[in-house]
Amino acid sequence: MAEVFADYKWAALFDDRGIFLEGLVTTLEVAVFALILALVLGVIFGIAGVFPKTWVRIINRIYVEFFQNTPLVIQAIFLYHALPHLHIMIPVTAIGILGVGIYSGAYMSEVFRSGINAVPRGQLESGLSQGFGYWQAMWHIVLPQARRTILPALGNQAIAIVKNTSVLAMIAGGDLMYVSDSWSGMNMYYGPAYLTTGIIYWVICFTMTKYVKRLEQKGAVG
Amino acid sequence: MISDVFQSYNILFLLEGLKITLEIGVGSIICSVIFGTVLGVSCHLKIPVLGQISTIYIDIIRNLPCLLLVLVVRFLTPLPPVWSGIAAMSIFTAATMAEVVRGGLNAIPKGQYEAAHSQGMNHYQIMRYIVLPQAYRNIIPPMMSEFTTIIKDSSFVWAVGTEELTGKGMILIGKYSETGQLFAIFGTVALIYFILNYSLSLLARWEYRRLRV
Amino acid sequence: MKLFGKKMMAAAGIVLLAAFTAAAAGCGGSSDQKAASSAVSADSAVQKIKDNGVLRVGVKVDVPLFGYKNPQTGQIEGFEIDLAKAVAKKIFGDENKIQMVPVTAKTRGPLLDNGEVDMIAATFTINEQRKQQYSFTNPYYTDPVGLLVKKSDNIHSLKDLAGKTIAVPQGATTRKAVEDAAKKEGITVSFAEFPTYSECKAALMSGRAAAYAMDQSNLHGYVDAETEILPDSFAPQEYGIAMKKDNAGFRDYVNQVLTDMKNSGEMDQLLKKWTLNK
Repeated sequence: MAEVFADYKWAALFDDRGIFLEGLVTTLEVAVFALILALVLGVIFGIAGVFPKTWVRIINRIYVEFFQNTPLVIQAIFLYHALPHLHIMIPVTAIGILGVGIYSGAYMSEVFRSGINAVPRGQLESGLSQGFGYWQAMWHIVLPQARRTILPALGNQAIAIVKNTSVLAMIAGGDLMYVSDSWSGMNMYYGPAYLTTGIIYWVICFTMTKYVKRLEQKGAVG
Repeated sequence: MISDVFQSYNILFLLEGLKITLEIGVGSIICSVIFGTVLGVSCHLKIPVLGQISTIYIDIIRNLPCLLLVLVVRFLTPLPPVWSGIAAMSIFTAATMAEVVRGGLNAIPKGQYEAAHSQGMNHYQIMRYIVLPQAYRNIIPPMMSEFTTIIKDSSFVWAVGTEELTGKGMILIGKYSETGQLFAIFGTVALIYFILNYSLSLLARWEYRRLRV
Repeated sequence: MKLFGKKMMAAAGIVLLAAFTAAAAGCGGSSDQKAASSAVSADSAVQKIKDNGVLRVGVKVDVPLFGYKNPQTGQIEGFEIDLAKAVAKKIFGDENKIQMVPVTAKTRGPLLDNGEVDMIAATFTINEQRKQQYSFTNPYYTDPVGLLVKKSDNIHSLKDLAGKTIAVPQGATTRKAVEDAAKKEGITVSFAEFPTYSECKAALMSGRAAAYAMDQSNLHGYVDAETEILPDSFAPQEYGIAMKKDNAGFRDYVNQVLTDMKNSGEMDQLLKKWTLNK
């Protein structure tokens, strides 16, 4: 099957490198915004998961359980193919950000929830008795202490986000995986296309992995 | 009419997909647990060569998207569709499983090894009687929550035309176009996944509590 | 620590490359052998299939009349299935010694490359770029590209699609054909590509795409009360049975089968059976 990686196919890939670059830009764009969205949702729903009021905790459970227990592929396809029937036409890049962001937000909120739970309850209570409001005490006293356990786990989620953006390939999302599929579908030069795509994803994620490891070690020491 | 969607032949059609999802899911769970444990243990014990290979394997696979592996395995190996799905999912998840195993083993205090060693136990015995029972507690619950991920990620095999649950759902989506019908199809498919995965995660939580007691 | 990190990264990168190349080389070895044997004669290529005891054919399961899995019977049937059976009959004297592997536009090329199937009979259009990679028989059917649109959208010709998005399946020649036709009309269109046909149809129905472009025979399976195929048709696509590039011996063998069928009138009968005689 050496012909799968034939030289002329590599040459064609090099000629069309612009297409792959565009895909990479879309992937990075979606990943960055999805990460921001997931972090925001993670903090909000993470705190909701430990909130004193029961109904708030129930909302947290519904959010987390629904998005953790159904495939991202189904969620993305739903946003893309079904919502327009209700006259809600979200652009595909935004679907990537929303879809991946909301999906990962569920995981992040679990990270925050368990991180907060790991901080002794007395900390929050003493903050409250000092005259802090609930949110102030959360933000200034509990979350900083939870940082050490939360950060590495968040890092792993960030890596998962980059990998998950590839779901866009299934809904014509223009990301790296999609352009690789599309380009190689036209000419059947999938060997070089997938190898290159793999290396690009790998370099991005591996760099992030190394960074997360550093955070972990710092956390363990500091 | 929404009821058109719930004709028995459509339900059977979806169930056929569920069967393939389950085949891929169960196959991948078994393979990735075995493969992941071998990798994780050899990393932890720093077995010469095998340990290094395992580390490199984990570093490579963990940083690739699942969809890419699904495509590459389907296109580069002559495995039939379901086996190709199992292979791709196992290759992918074994890396995560290995991390879980390695983490669980690393969490066991070093002193216990030394104590066992001074008692005259050999490597195998230490593993069998000291390490594994404890590691089991650290490892099994997070491993079980990976099962859910496998079931969910198996929906990527639809990208190579393997008609598992998501695929069967999509084929129905191509046939029906009324708003209500579409939502009924999406709802049904999502519900099946949810029931499957929620039961698995309940099981994982139950096991977690049982082991902590 | 830093040095270790760099080393690890380099090592991992090398292994990644090595893994891919090993996969390529490993399979390369076996295909080279095949090349050597098949270059000698058609007989040895056929002998190899005989040794396997079954002809493995990549077929469509979602194109009515060509290759379609009948939901009532669970059987795959169609014109291309009958062609494949005729080849199996010639090889084994038994048309049931056939193993049908469902393929999509996206997977059929790779499945031929990786040796999962002996040949592809799956509305596979012959073109120059593909001929560089695969061996094709003479065409057995010609089918133009058509456009499926929603009746309510008021689109009557390709021109009306100027500036709009057209859904096409990945791995098909459709995109190129429509692109060329659009250029001739002096309009620009954009494309959304999906892994399978049903997603193309879903994209049309949800308004993500204004049209679904595909070979007309494929489109017929997706027409319903709300949609219609435009009278516009362009770029006749010639379907051929495909084998590995180095398997020209087997190609010649299958070509002979097709020619015999044409001469004996069997081909016409099959076309009539599947209402494909125009």
